[in-house]
Amino acid sequence: MSIFSEAVAVIPAIFSGSSWDMRQAFDANGMWLFSLVFTLLGGFLAHKFYEFLPFMERHLERTIAVVMYLVIAGIIFWGVIDRFVFSNQWSGSTTVPPFLFMVMAWFACSYNVKLRTHLSFSEFRSNMPPSGQVAALTLDAVLWIGFCWIAITTSLRFTALSADNFQLVDGVDDVMKWWFYITVPIAFTLMSGRVIGNWLEDWNNYRSGTPIIKQAVIGGDV
Amino acid sequence: MSDGTWITLISLGVTIFFMLGTPVLLVIFYWVIGISFVIDLPLANTGNELINVFSKGFALLAMPLFILTGDLINQSGIARRLSDFAYSVLGWLRGGLAMASIAACGLFAAISGSNSATTATIGSMLHPEMVKGNYDERFSAATAAAGGTVGIIIPPSIIFIVYGFLLNLPISDLFVAGIIPGTLMVLGMMTAAFIVCTVNGWGVLIGLSISRMIKTGIGAWLGFFAIGLVLWGIYTGRFSPTEAAGVTVGFCVLVGLICYPLNKVMGSSADLPVQEKSYGSMFVVEGFTLPQVPSIVSRSAQITGILVPLIAVSVAMQQVMSSLGAKDFIGDFVTGMGGYYAVLFTSMAIVFVTGMILESLPVTIILAPILAPIAASVGIDPIHFAVVFLVGASIGFVTPPYGLNLYVASGVTGVPYFRLLRYIVPYLIALISVWFFVALVPETALAILPDR
Repeated sequence: MSIFSEAVAVIPAIFSGSSWDMRQAFDANGMWLFSLVFTLLGGFLAHKFYEFLPFMERHLERTIAVVMYLVIAGIIFWGVIDRFVFSNQWSGSTTVPPFLFMVMAWFACSYNVKLRTHLSFSEFRSNMPPSGQVAALTLDAVLWIGFCWIAITTSLRFTALSADNFQLVDGVDDVMKWWFYITVPIAFTLMSGRVIGNWLEDWNNYRSGTPIIKQAVIGGDV
Repeated sequence: MSDGTWITLISLGVTIFFMLGTPVLLVIFYWVIGISFVIDLPLANTGNELINVFSKGFALLAMPLFILTGDLINQSGIARRLSDFAYSVLGWLRGGLAMASIAACGLFAAISGSNSATTATIGSMLHPEMVKGNYDERFSAATAAAGGTVGIIIPPSIIFIVYGFLLNLPISDLFVAGIIPGTLMVLGMMTAAFIVCTVNGWGVLIGLSISRMIKTGIGAWLGFFAIGLVLWGIYTGRFSPTEAAGVTVGFCVLVGLICYPLNKVMGSSADLPVQEKSYGSMFVVEGFTLPQVPSIVSRSAQITGILVPLIAVSVAMQQVMSSLGAKDFIGDFVTGMGGYYAVLFTSMAIVFVTGMILESLPVTIILAPILAPIAASVGIDPIHFAVVFLVGASIGFVTPPYGLNLYVASGVTGVPYFRLLRYIVPYLIALISVWFFVALVPETALAILPDR
């Protein structure tokens, strides 16, 4: 099969609902092509979704991250109380939180892309002329998209493999690992939407002559 | 072209990305991807690590929880009370506020586990007061940056968690081993601050007042209780570090929510000078309301969302470096240096130089699995080596060009990065002196371990 037909074959595999079919289709090289289109198209749609629903744009990733954070803290805190006070402990109290942590971390990572708060050495960039700044930001956008592309491809394969093997979360009944893993490609799709949104904003700022690089603040909203 | 040429070109390429301001996460990621192509490693190796890093254990979970603890004690007003107490104890000395700032960092670090949270919290709280108190603003910013280094040595500590997680060492032992070195770092930096301020005549002296000390000590009781809770739980083995983090988060949330209405009833305000507050009102902190909790957690989530992806790609980087034979190369180089002290000092030199150009988490993730077994093979105690390694990694937070605390301090104080570098030098000298002392005297790390 050519790489194009392999890429096209991913679509019916997804809609088949069979983890075996998905795993077979995802393992082909055409998956990379499919994922590239998915990353760009999904990112564009995520960007449009955020444009259409500004409330979601402000709160979606942050809310998911905060809820996961609180649930993790709650499970662990209660686990200790349960053990000391009631001499009991839920068997999932040490196995479920790492999965919630994974969900929280990648959605928070996406939120940091929006806020541009990922660690960087920005001394030279800040002193560049606007054309240099927009070029550097374009380079960032391309690199972020590449990151999302690789992450979406590999995490979808990982998820399909887990689903195909019926992997259960240790210590709890009937909770599949892939339910958590599937959030990773979703987070990266939202991240690519953030990248597209940021780049469009930078480009518009460049064309209108407004400052392109602003001081990002951890804990701030902009 | 040979593989070596490709690897050199890829390394140069990502260095250019770094200089152009590309996020460190992407710089490391693309180095890993580039080298993976050269040595025929499947990309799935890197991609899967973005998921696998979370499933390797419960221990890493302590990291986000201790980050959250830092934000909760800051928002609840406990951090402010700890710094008030430190100032009342040290304010009568020349450079008292600078020393109080460092001591407050030490106290804050004993509840939180993050260097940047320590720098940001104490820096934003005490920098305006230091400037008002006749200190040079560059020195004030440098003090916040340097003080933050103890954030990851005095337990609980995020980087100890990562180290223990990587090398399968008991994290609770690492935490206990960090207590004396962290305290020495605080004392060393306080000495440096005292000397600099005495030479320059900086600072306004306040009289030593026992009643003020008692009052602020009462005001900080919740902070001391939280410190005691963490240390007791870990030291006695009642909690794992992750559980200690969860308990501290629960404690801080309850304190914040309970104190808010109590504080309103007492009519106390954070802006009121200590002298004008009643003893009764010192028992409760400002606290926060339930609707404020999401915004506090959101900030912690942001910091976690920066650090965790960095850990994931650094683990992938470490695997790629192993495939490249870096482990053997560095191992042979360090082993070739000779015995105990040669290995110890060569390792320290490698950590120091790497810490200047890389963030401390990647330094730890990449180098610790290489250097620790060599150190063990020449008879260096693994816990002692961990402390020596991590004190060195913490110094990397204030060594330019890539000193994370310097950026954080610059961000929260508004002092440009390059302007504060000069005033970091006295602190660096103090920290390096303590580092050598800790390296030469293993008892500093091992003496109070519970099972020795």
